[in-house]
Amino acid sequence: MTRPATGTLLRGSAPALGGVALGVILQAADPRLRLYVAGSVALVAVLAGLAGTAVTVIVIVARRRAAAASAASAAAVRQVAEEAAQDRLRFFMRLDHELKNPLTAIRAGLANIEQGGGLALASAGTVAAVASVSVQADRIARLVSDLRKLADLETREIETAPVDLTALLDEVAEAVAEIPAARERIIRVTVPRAPWPLPLVAGDRDLLFIAVQNLVANAVKFSAPGDTVEVRASEDDDALLLEVADTGAGIPADEIGQVWQELARGRAARSLPGTGIGLALVRVIVVRHGGQVAIRSRDGQGTVVGIRLAVPDRARIAPDVAGLRQDRDTPGMAAV
Amino acid sequence: MGGPDVRPVVILADDDEAITSNLAPFLHRAGFTVHVASDGNAALELVERLDPDGCVLDVLMPGPDGREVLRRLRRGGRWLPVVLLTQVGESAERAIALDEGADDYLNKPFDPYELLARLRAVLRRARPGRRPLSASPTVRAGDLRLDRISRRAWLRDAELVLTPKAMLLLDYLFTHPDELLTRERLLEVLWGFDFPVGTRAVDNRIAELRRALGDDPARPEWIATVPGQGYRFVAQVDDAR
Repeated sequence: MTRPATGTLLRGSAPALGGVALGVILQAADPRLRLYVAGSVALVAVLAGLAGTAVTVIVIVARRRAAAASAASAAAVRQVAEEAAQDRLRFFMRLDHELKNPLTAIRAGLANIEQGGGLALASAGTVAAVASVSVQADRIARLVSDLRKLADLETREIETAPVDLTALLDEVAEAVAEIPAARERIIRVTVPRAPWPLPLVAGDRDLLFIAVQNLVANAVKFSAPGDTVEVRASEDDDALLLEVADTGAGIPADEIGQVWQELARGRAARSLPGTGIGLALVRVIVVRHGGQVAIRSRDGQGTVVGIRLAVPDRARIAPDVAGLRQDRDTPGMAAV
Repeated sequence: MGGPDVRPVVILADDDEAITSNLAPFLHRAGFTVHVASDGNAALELVERLDPDGCVLDVLMPGPDGREVLRRLRRGGRWLPVVLLTQVGESAERAIALDEGADDYLNKPFDPYELLARLRAVLRRARPGRRPLSASPTVRAGDLRLDRISRRAWLRDAELVLTPKAMLLLDYLFTHPDELLTRERLLEVLWGFDFPVGTRAVDNRIAELRRALGDDPARPEWIATVPGQGYRFVAQVDDAR
């Protein structure tokens, strides 16, 4: 799986029917995959032509073959995606490994300067310079560890307990309300309760919370006082849909393709604090839950980010609802 | 660590000279006598020779690495408190794993003041000559008993049903009694690193533990809330033999 030769072979030989959708989702993560998606569209056209000829000969055999080819290519696409993820993971680990020691040394050196009282006699300029070095070292440390966390989330085992998203959205709303800017937004959470409540999803509650919280916090961050932020949940046959919409600044068309990438920061974000890790984190969490993410935006009008999560077989999950519904621990909750 | 003149002796083991040359004077100024080891064998040799009060071990070192050094120390009945310097993303579960018996751990790159705080805490908690709680297979607090190897807990005779994360949290609380544990730190325990957002995850797990224990937050027998800061395990903890 980690041999580059295999990866090249697979990338070269993988025609994708079922793989196109997956490829589109993943294309933001890796430029090589973007090439692959373009290639696979051409291959689909060729395959379609070939299939057309085949139909005139033996329809049933052709169908079976197409189905088999499609399944095989989907597996190949998955493998390519896995390898790309592995490559990225290895890169983040190397980066982390190479930077963590120098950063630890820099921080210890700064602590020495501070603790040694050397700054008491220093000029104002020196004091300011040391303070600035300290802030920037912290910033690099945060960035490196954020990237490493992201890589870690791609591989760590994910808990799959039933999660009540209705309760989770309430909590997200509470958490977001603590962001000062949220008081100047109109925040609406719409969750269906009739004729039945939202189904449970299977997953890691903490991670799903982080994903949704990030989206809502982003909506607040990239909107202005008076703007509206809507959190909308709905259900279709076998999936749960969650949308976070805002009437904020929107994302320019030339930036929308990059929003899911690590460290992607649009022009509008450059004046705001943050490491550009939020949406990449959301994507990793959702993908690890077998879900999909999507984004629609109009420059100057606003943005809608959607999450689609599969709903497991309801018959199996329903009896656990009462037991697993998370109660609030109000009396024990410390003041924040 | 008797009178004010007695400086605790600690071993700082890391193969990166840039780190030891900066951290050693920092720890020295903070009141420790520091001896530097640049690999695992040197660390073992220093512990043998100096019988220090504590040890800071980097996990990645030439020779026996930090984990191996720790295992050998514990196997040899050396119970001195040890802080492991780990990698981001290594689960806390592994870092505080019983077969290693680290008293605490810290991800690089860490804030040196945080190392100082953790080092002071583990030294304060140390029970000279006795096995630290972090290396005890079973621990007890009142009617609550925890088997740290099988990760099972009993309240009187009833076994508690806990999620793996709640069990991990209970283990950490048990082995860090009477310490103020901030939500950020507990989040790190649950995940192996601090998340940039949301500490409700910790509150939820604490709530799960309290429900399982029937612990009243207003009059806690085990887990007390420290308003605005975090939690504290208030029960007296002992080895359960």
